[in-house]
Amino acid sequence: MGGERLIDDPLSVITLVPLAMGLILMILPRVLPNSSAEGLIRVSRNISMGVALAIATITTMLFLGQVGSIDWTNITQGGYVLQNEAVDLIPAIGVTWKVGADALSFPMIWLTAILIPISMLVEWDAKRGHLFFPLLLVMEGALLGVFVVLDLFVFYVFWELTLIPMFLLILLWGGEDRRYAAMKFFIYTFTASVFMLIGILVMYFHTEAIAGLGSLSGHHFDLVAMTAQENLIPSEGLRHFVWLLLLIGFATKMPSVPVHTWLPDAHVQAPTAGSMLLAGVMLKMGAYGFLRISVTVFPESTIEFVPLLIFLGMVSLVYGAWVCMGQTNLKRMVAYSSVSHMGLIFLGIATMQPLGFAGALFMMFAHGIISPLLFAVAGAFKHHYHTLEIGSMRGIAHHSPWLAAHMMLGWMASLGLPLLAGFVAEIAILIAFWMTYGWLVLLPALTLIVTAVYYLNSMQRTIFESNDPEQGILPETLHGEDPSDLTWHENAGMMTLAAMTALFGIMPFIFWDMMSNWSSGFVIDTMIEAMQTQEWSP
Amino acid sequence: MSSMISDMDLATTQLILPELLMLGGILTMILVPNFGNATMRIPLTSIRIPVLFGGTRFATTNNPKLPNQIATTTLALAFMTSLLFLSEEGEVGNSLYVNEFSRIFTLVFTTALLLASLATTARLPARPTASAPLDTDSIANSDAKVNALIDNRRQVDFHILLLTTGLGMSLMAMATNLFMLFVCLELASLSSYILVAFHKETDVGGEAGTKYFIVGSVVSAIGIYGMSLLYLWNGSLDMTDLAASWDAMEGMDPLATIGVGLMLVAFGFKVGAAPFHLAVPDAYAGASSPVAGVLATASKAMGFVALMRLLLVVTMPSTGQAFWFLTLAIVAVVTMTWGNLAALTSDNPKRILAYSSVAHAGYILAALAAIGSGLADSDMSTLIVTAVVFHLVVLVLFKLGAFLILSMLEAEGKGHKMEDLHGLGRRDPVIAASMFVFMLSLAGVPPLSGFLSKLLMINGIVNVSAGTSSASAATALSWAQGVDPVFWLAVAIVLNSALSLFYYLRIGLVMFFESPVTDNPLKRSSSLRMAIIACAMLTLLFGIGPLSNSLLDMVGSAVDSFMGS
Repeated sequence: MGGERLIDDPLSVITLVPLAMGLILMILPRVLPNSSAEGLIRVSRNISMGVALAIATITTMLFLGQVGSIDWTNITQGGYVLQNEAVDLIPAIGVTWKVGADALSFPMIWLTAILIPISMLVEWDAKRGHLFFPLLLVMEGALLGVFVVLDLFVFYVFWELTLIPMFLLILLWGGEDRRYAAMKFFIYTFTASVFMLIGILVMYFHTEAIAGLGSLSGHHFDLVAMTAQENLIPSEGLRHFVWLLLLIGFATKMPSVPVHTWLPDAHVQAPTAGSMLLAGVMLKMGAYGFLRISVTVFPESTIEFVPLLIFLGMVSLVYGAWVCMGQTNLKRMVAYSSVSHMGLIFLGIATMQPLGFAGALFMMFAHGIISPLLFAVAGAFKHHYHTLEIGSMRGIAHHSPWLAAHMMLGWMASLGLPLLAGFVAEIAILIAFWMTYGWLVLLPALTLIVTAVYYLNSMQRTIFESNDPEQGILPETLHGEDPSDLTWHENAGMMTLAAMTALFGIMPFIFWDMMSNWSSGFVIDTMIEAMQTQEWSP
Repeated sequence: MSSMISDMDLATTQLILPELLMLGGILTMILVPNFGNATMRIPLTSIRIPVLFGGTRFATTNNPKLPNQIATTTLALAFMTSLLFLSEEGEVGNSLYVNEFSRIFTLVFTTALLLASLATTARLPARPTASAPLDTDSIANSDAKVNALIDNRRQVDFHILLLTTGLGMSLMAMATNLFMLFVCLELASLSSYILVAFHKETDVGGEAGTKYFIVGSVVSAIGIYGMSLLYLWNGSLDMTDLAASWDAMEGMDPLATIGVGLMLVAFGFKVGAAPFHLAVPDAYAGASSPVAGVLATASKAMGFVALMRLLLVVTMPSTGQAFWFLTLAIVAVVTMTWGNLAALTSDNPKRILAYSSVAHAGYILAALAAIGSGLADSDMSTLIVTAVVFHLVVLVLFKLGAFLILSMLEAEGKGHKMEDLHGLGRRDPVIAASMFVFMLSLAGVPPLSGFLSKLLMINGIVNVSAGTSSASAATALSWAQGVDPVFWLAVAIVLNSALSLFYYLRIGLVMFFESPVTDNPLKRSSSLRMAIIACAMLTLLFGIGPLSNSLLDMVGSAVDSFMGS
């Protein structure tokens, strides 16, 4: 029975099980009598890890075809796989529980499922573990929910739900300024998503009733039906307005300049696992939502606003890279580099080429494995050297060779070294950009040099250079003690990420074929028609 | 009197069983706490028989928790019986008509009062034992004993007033005659004036009660004057007669219009609509939190029942715009904006909740105004009224729930300043999380029930105005210029909800971000705690999932019985 159910509807299972398990593990010890509560607290970490590993296994098996046997490379736009039979949640206003995956969401689902156990591993000895690990499970459920649901109401609920565990992670396990950072994070993203909600509501009020749903209000939140409805919002002006409302929500999450300022603060204060998930998955929610809702439902508006996309993308890319050069805080630097890389996603979409879309999708995935590695490294640096200042020490390679090795690999991947995952995405986006906009490509291409400058500079200053080859310079925060190298669990987590970075750099086709097929289908089916109606040319 | 009771058959009894139970509760409350061990000697013998009245009271009848237990049990029984006989329908006398619509409001009123009663369990101080003074006692001793008795009597008074409020409210929901409606409204109002003033532990209680009473009685006088004009015009205050005369009226009879207008003032005060809302924040801030919660939920629901009877049953024309449409629309927008702006600048959580209640009244008025625009067909009107009633039902959970939490703070002498909420998340995470849920639901964040009700109201307004603008408008602005003005009511609700997020989130966030003034855990009151947690759970469950659907079905069929009548 259980096995059959799993095969029927694996996406609901992987979303709801971690949510339920996380909540149970958090609440049960407060309700149970003392002795059994203590027992539960002791095994809470192991249970959480077990659940997370099980979900990672299920998702991997889904991809490899052991469960469900799906032809992943031939998913077309609108052809969702692993769909369930819609369950009514609030029939009165047309809310259903409807899940599905395609080439846009599946890499994100797999990424989330893989990153959660890795981030648990990296912070294996976290304080208050009986709350920390279940909270990560809740986080996993909320994140997976965002990627699997196909109903905008439920999408919005999960979107907001991701805020709460992240907010608590920053607030309870964060650094010294955690209150300010958590508050800023909450207010920024919450306010932005209110705009998004208003946009969703306007879309909702334009939907036509689906027969048999029994909706009291005569409307529904079903994204698939919204996409299928010809000309969802007839008035062009209103459509553009809705598109902009949605953009505010998504661009803040991504984040794009000028609404990016919450990100560096949140990253610097968040615990390592929080930073890893924030950079690895939560930022992708913005790009995912943008592609899934704005671009899919309103291709005409997207084309209309291509100049805006290019502007936002360029500014994020250049400004993010430029600011990185002035950072002395390791985490802050990596955070700004995320802003910079997210700008590339907008540029990839703005090319309106299948290659550009596929590059944007691959960027979402590649950045999702590289930036957690960077934040894991930064977290370990903080843990072993008690500082995040780049200039405060020299010669990590001497004291902590493993940490230095991971740091090198992460930075190399992030600056786009060939044969590592980041390169594939960057080169695809740049080629597509050149195909559409010609020599304008020089601006993003040259910015990559700036990226190289700040990474190589930091590398020089922290990993290698040392006045005294025997000792290096140690930061004052160590108070003269010798720093230790990575612990086994940190090393294991980083090793996995590093291996994945290399794997997807050498063999990008594992996901690339699926993404590029989907993108060509998407551009041909949806964008070309819209381009003709808008009479668009670059 | 006796003949009336004998006339009542079983069916009628069943119809008004909840109200009879409340009446019984009041009588019990008057009698039982007086029971003592007094005996009477049968003349010429030495046999003493107990007469129950007088003497020293028994430990049980003396118990300061007894009145609360009686009130809680009565209200719980009334709640259960009205749920049990939900679909019973019929006439009682010639001015009361019981149907699902009135039942659902009886449920609302009893729930609100039940929660308030649970919250007062440990609130009113009283000595555990009290006995009547004896002749042999010294004066001081005798005074102390009398005082102890009076302390104990406070409990009785308070809970009798709670029950009379409930009785008045739930009879009012059944009234089909304007006069009956007003009498019941006054029964509930007068009791609530005293309840507001009952909070003698603070200096502001008496002042708030007096203020509320003076404004309330002036407004009632205006309403009764309006009613007398209507009587002069029609010669009957029965709503069916009035509706028939209103339909037959050619043009606008000034007498009738002025009469209805004056009554709107009275009901507008009850729901807290601007500009009659000025006494509301004072009354809420002065009253004890459970009472303020009752005012914000049950009393407001009562005002809206009266308003809906007057607007939708009596004066709604079968086609075209109602004469009150524009007035109500303007009042609605002013009310919600004023409420939200005032809440933004306030520093007292009770005042913030009071102003938020004003804002919510504005949302409901906007929905009612959309019906009055005359653009809505009967299905659409039913949908809007369903949304309004659903809102009033779920409001009891999250508005009163928030007041219950403030009541926990009040028990330690706090709850009047924002600082008192600081660090609640550290002192009691569960209560703070519940408060957070209540605030989000008040703000209308999915998937909580506050969102569902607000979405249904906005949906009604938008559907009413749908298709009135050109679909080919090139810019959002030109589209907006073409749409019917009713549409702007929906925009006003959305903008105001966004505005209100600031103060709701402020309450939500200070609980987690600021350091607490004291580290003592909250006073343990398990019944109140359970009630708050139940409210928070139901706030979520009525927002999403099967339970929300069954509640909506229940409200929907209740509204059908209202619109059909």
